[in-house]
Amino acid sequence: MIMILLSIVFIVMRVLPGNPVLLRFEKNANPALIAGFTHQLGLDRPLYVQYFDYLWGLLHGNFGTSMAGDFEPVGPEILSRFPATLELTFYAFIVAVAVGVFVGAFGARKGGAPDEGVKVFGILIYAFPVFFLGMILQLVFGIWIHLLPVTGRLSAGIQPTALSIGGVQYQTGIYTLDSLLSGNLTEFIDAVKHLILPATALGLVISGVFVRMTRANMMETMRSDFVTAARARGLKEKTVVYSYALRNAMLPIVTIMGLQFAILLSGAILTETEFSILGLGTYLVDRINFRDYTAVQGTVVFLALLITTVSLVVDILYAYLDPRVRL
Amino acid sequence: MGNLLSPLVGKGHGRPLMLVGVGIALFITVMSITAPFISPHDPSLIGFGPPDSPPSAHYPFGTDQYGRDLLSRTIWGGRFMLLVAVTAVLICMAVGLPIGLVSAYNGGNLDRSVALVMDSIYAFPSLVLAIMIISVFGVTIVNESLAIAVVYIPTYFRVVRSQVLAIKEMPYVDAAKSVGANGPAVLLKYILPNVVSSIVVVATVNFADSILTTAGLDFIGLGLPVTSPDWGIDLQYGRALLPTGEWWTIFFSGLMILLAALSFSLISEGYAERTNPKLR
Repeated sequence: MIMILLSIVFIVMRVLPGNPVLLRFEKNANPALIAGFTHQLGLDRPLYVQYFDYLWGLLHGNFGTSMAGDFEPVGPEILSRFPATLELTFYAFIVAVAVGVFVGAFGARKGGAPDEGVKVFGILIYAFPVFFLGMILQLVFGIWIHLLPVTGRLSAGIQPTALSIGGVQYQTGIYTLDSLLSGNLTEFIDAVKHLILPATALGLVISGVFVRMTRANMMETMRSDFVTAARARGLKEKTVVYSYALRNAMLPIVTIMGLQFAILLSGAILTETEFSILGLGTYLVDRINFRDYTAVQGTVVFLALLITTVSLVVDILYAYLDPRVRL
Repeated sequence: MGNLLSPLVGKGHGRPLMLVGVGIALFITVMSITAPFISPHDPSLIGFGPPDSPPSAHYPFGTDQYGRDLLSRTIWGGRFMLLVAVTAVLICMAVGLPIGLVSAYNGGNLDRSVALVMDSIYAFPSLVLAIMIISVFGVTIVNESLAIAVVYIPTYFRVVRSQVLAIKEMPYVDAAKSVGANGPAVLLKYILPNVVSSIVVVATVNFADSILTTAGLDFIGLGLPVTSPDWGIDLQYGRALLPTGEWWTIFFSGLMILLAALSFSLISEGYAERTNPKLR
């Protein structure tokens, strides 16, 4: 499956008509210059050679060299931008699941008008363009009420710190984590403050799916035999709902978590652009504007690998949680 | 085909939702089509009015930093997005439906391989793929539609395939075959009508998603050239004005994107609720 994805990326970027090198230069550029550039990037070799080179390189963690400026390898650049995206998606995901599950369960439990409201909320919030929601949040909480910062990850003047053991720096690039590890509380609070708005924007939009799923699953689970049995045994309604019904309703939610990750990434690209967070999303957009195709290709490949890994992890998690599933 | 529209009438669950969705969708469509006639001013006219002025009697939606009337821009802004969405959905249906029908009906290794390819594409974020395609080929209606369509075809394929696999084993299909109906006839007369209502649901969701993706692309700057009136582009340029508290530059365009996507999502949910007895 990974192979198919990687091959698709390769086909789109190399095989389909459209010479990326030509697109980068002006129409009347020196042909010798174009030829030299093409040769340096290895684009004048036969396609199958390029394909195997691409795959072989990937196996060794080589994501190609940048087409802009100095032909630096793309890999390290991607890795340096990745933590920001990871941090954002992680917190957004937590927001999404928390909001989704509780609102969905609430609707399922109450029924009637609140339930309809929850249903509409789920549809409405998912239809929200995430950057629009981000802008509204920025306006309200950052500009009208000066409560939270609107851009970036840290305020000016605060340096990211890292954990040092015996003089060696271990920096993950995830500011919330690093600051906790190094014990820098000011940095931690600052990083969190910068994360609240973007994570909320992205998380809220994604929560739409979880709201609807939780609600549907809960409604079905509440009608099942073991819930009736639990009630008959005289357990408190609250226990029945939260300890019994909700736990079982959660299982299908785990399956869609993997799929939601891809959507989360798309949303992250837009959220990063909106909040000026220097992550993979902004890197991708940036590289496109510079016509740096190898960087774009490298980033897309990285994302594809990431998605596949997450799906795999989710599958394993699901098999672990549901005793009826055999891997 | 009459049963396609039957969920629209009659009482029951989900109908208000769906009707609201249809109403909003119709409004936006009509507005976009009649834009040249109902727009009060030229949306691209720079320096028409005083720049950065808030909504007023003269300019109901205000003006942007170039002095363009925002009401006109809002009326004109949906055309590209709607066109792309329609094209994407049509491409998806034209490609996904037949492949799903034929592959599932024939079954076997071919079906399994196609399903594998489809599953691989399925998880790919549409925005990223669209970015990839557009970065190489440039922006046209066809390119954007293609990019969105490619990522959605697997969904159509999956839905159609699961339906076909279920229906294929039914007695009445066997009966038809025993009377001499061949492959294509069975597909068209028996299987296809049953698949149609799920296709409607998928198509409307596809439409809503396409609007959001196109808006996102415009917002990043990978959409139309910046002079065109377009909701996503308005958001991109209005963003710079936010720190001064000028909310009207982004509000109406963003609201329209939301309404457009919302309307089709409502149609989809309402339709699903009315045609799927399990959801009632």
